[in-house]
Amino acid sequence: RGLAKAAGPRSVRQLKEAEEAAPVFQYAGKAAKRKDRVFVWGFSYSGALGVPSFVKPDVGWKKPRRIQATPYRLETEEKISSAACGYGFTLLSSHTTDITKVWGMGLNKDSQLGFQRSRRDRAKGYEYVLEPSPIPLPLEKPQQTRVVQVSCGRAHSLILTDSEGVFTMGNNSYGQCGRKVVEDESYSESHLIHQLKEFDSRVVQVVCGQDHSLFRTKKGAVYACGWGADGQTGLGHYNITSVPTKLRGDIAGVNIIQVSSYGDCCLAVSDEGDVFGWGNSEYLQLASVTETTQVNVPRHLPFKIGKIKEAACGGTGNIVLTEEGNVFVWGYGILGKGPNLIETAVPEMIPPSLFGWSDFNPDICVAHVRCGLSHFAALTNRGELFVWGKNLRGCLGTGRMEDHYFPWRVTVPGEVVDVACGVDHMVSMVKSFT
Amino acid sequence: LNAAPGPAPRQHVRFLPVPAEDGSGVTGLVATRVPMLADHRLVRGPRFRRLKIGAGHRLDTKASGVFVLGIGHGNKLLTDLYNCHLTKVYTVGGMFGKATDDFSDTGKLVEKTTFDHITREKLERILAVIQGTNHKALLMHSNIDMKTQEAYELAVKGLIRPMGKSPPIITAIRCLQFTLPEFQLEIHCLHETQQYLRKIVHEIGLELKSSAVCTQVRRIRDGVFTVNDALLRTQWNLQSIQKAIWDCQLKVKTELEKTLG
Repeated sequence: RGLAKAAGPRSVRQLKEAEEAAPVFQYAGKAAKRKDRVFVWGFSYSGALGVPSFVKPDVGWKKPRRIQATPYRLETEEKISSAACGYGFTLLSSHTTDITKVWGMGLNKDSQLGFQRSRRDRAKGYEYVLEPSPIPLPLEKPQQTRVVQVSCGRAHSLILTDSEGVFTMGNNSYGQCGRKVVEDESYSESHLIHQLKEFDSRVVQVVCGQDHSLFRTKKGAVYACGWGADGQTGLGHYNITSVPTKLRGDIAGVNIIQVSSYGDCCLAVSDEGDVFGWGNSEYLQLASVTETTQVNVPRHLPFKIGKIKEAACGGTGNIVLTEEGNVFVWGYGILGKGPNLIETAVPEMIPPSLFGWSDFNPDICVAHVRCGLSHFAALTNRGELFVWGKNLRGCLGTGRMEDHYFPWRVTVPGEVVDVACGVDHMVSMVKSFT
Repeated sequence: LNAAPGPAPRQHVRFLPVPAEDGSGVTGLVATRVPMLADHRLVRGPRFRRLKIGAGHRLDTKASGVFVLGIGHGNKLLTDLYNCHLTKVYTVGGMFGKATDDFSDTGKLVEKTTFDHITREKLERILAVIQGTNHKALLMHSNIDMKTQEAYELAVKGLIRPMGKSPPIITAIRCLQFTLPEFQLEIHCLHETQQYLRKIVHEIGLELKSSAVCTQVRRIRDGVFTVNDALLRTQWNLQSIQKAIWDCQLKVKTELEKTLG
């Protein structure tokens, strides 16, 4: 009589036909590219994480988040190629030829992020920048120059461009910005950005220590300026230097391929795999060559651990990576070999099994090492990030607030390409999986 | 089993009267060893009337592979083996392009997707991340205080593992074969169920922006027992079972001593 009948159990043939007739969805095309993302974690009240809703919630139900303990995605307009974490502030830069190439967030009490014009009062500037804000640079050819690298120290920052030298901003009370020290200069809300061009060849790397700056040129020479009371300028004296001066000592004539510093100690790696150090040695960082606590001339560190590829300096501990992919640590603090190893003057190797090496995966090795003030980070060739050290205000990003005495994995939803470590926060550049 | 010659009957000493040699009628007592009547086959009856058989780690109806059984007194060893928390190894076969409600290829179809963008490299990347997060879970569930020196030493040797109840953890995973749309993985895991492995295959499909179903789950190793020790359906007779028990005895004993001390 035309009444609708219930469906009833379908036979196998009906099921197969229904299956074949079902629509096929496409979520990713054949040429889908992997996306680049930025993840931040750590202490957020300084604004260094770049998420304003952590500090000032924009919706009623959100609560201010003092510490972001696990990686949090930061939305950026452009692909970020270089990032640097200072003491409470962050700089992000991209390779673009647009007008805005550098963004900064965090503390701006010494204009380390340039002049950020306040929207309420056009004459004043912001003291805390909560969102990644563009930093205007006085470039001669703004649509052709590209920013290669950025670096941040305690209260100053350096921006390296490919054709217009180095731009410095921030505190200059020790000459770390490369210009003459002006007495009683007020650094907050300052529009001054200094440009440095006089080097023997093009500058290829800039590194900020706590209150000093290091410049590495293409010819392999190292220049320094800033505070020198611990000998960190390496110029043979303990005074401040306000003009970048070339370093001599054991480095003279050596082709340096990497320089590193974050506190008051500095390390340089030559193309032959040797490592040179100068600066503070109160924590046995340079105790293998000298008993003094300050070294003001670069000295070669005679370690017999193999050819060194990369080095990183922290506040009290140092870490190097050899060509074979082994990681060596020395200095003072939580070095990564359990709670019993607190200080050592001779580099100790961290066993590769802690980085995921095993009989099942024999080709895992560490590709990069980075150092914060009291913690270390290592990147493997598979894109995994391992951190260890003191967990100051959640800077390790593992989700737990305790210190880690041996390398611990950070769960990041992507393959970590680069990471920048600060005092109490970290920024990582990550490529998504598919 | 009952037809096989059992253990020899117990012997006891009895004082039996023996007629004297000289036929005087005085019976002397001589101590002789005689088998006890209570042990005689006809008095006692068949030795085995029932057998207690216990099963080891569970295996689904849709899965296949090594399944450990304990007979009689071996059931006590089963609990000890469970407390050792040894890893099990599975080969899991999967197929891209389909998603079903019970994650296997016999379930109701939920969605069909394209999969031509998937490469072996992308799959290996996902597997590396799965391994990394599970390694972290391994360290966290092992209930050892991470701040001690012993924790560091165990972590270096790779001997940290949870010695109590824990959610399923994968200790190692790698791709054996990859021919679109099918792939095969080898998974080493602890405290898992086969449905969890099928769910992992489904999640791998989701992570690769497609979908996957599990076609095959086969356990190739359960603690110390591998496929080579396992008996096939055609070998389920007394002699092979006895031989298999005899071969595995030493392995099981050494493993138990090593882990439980």
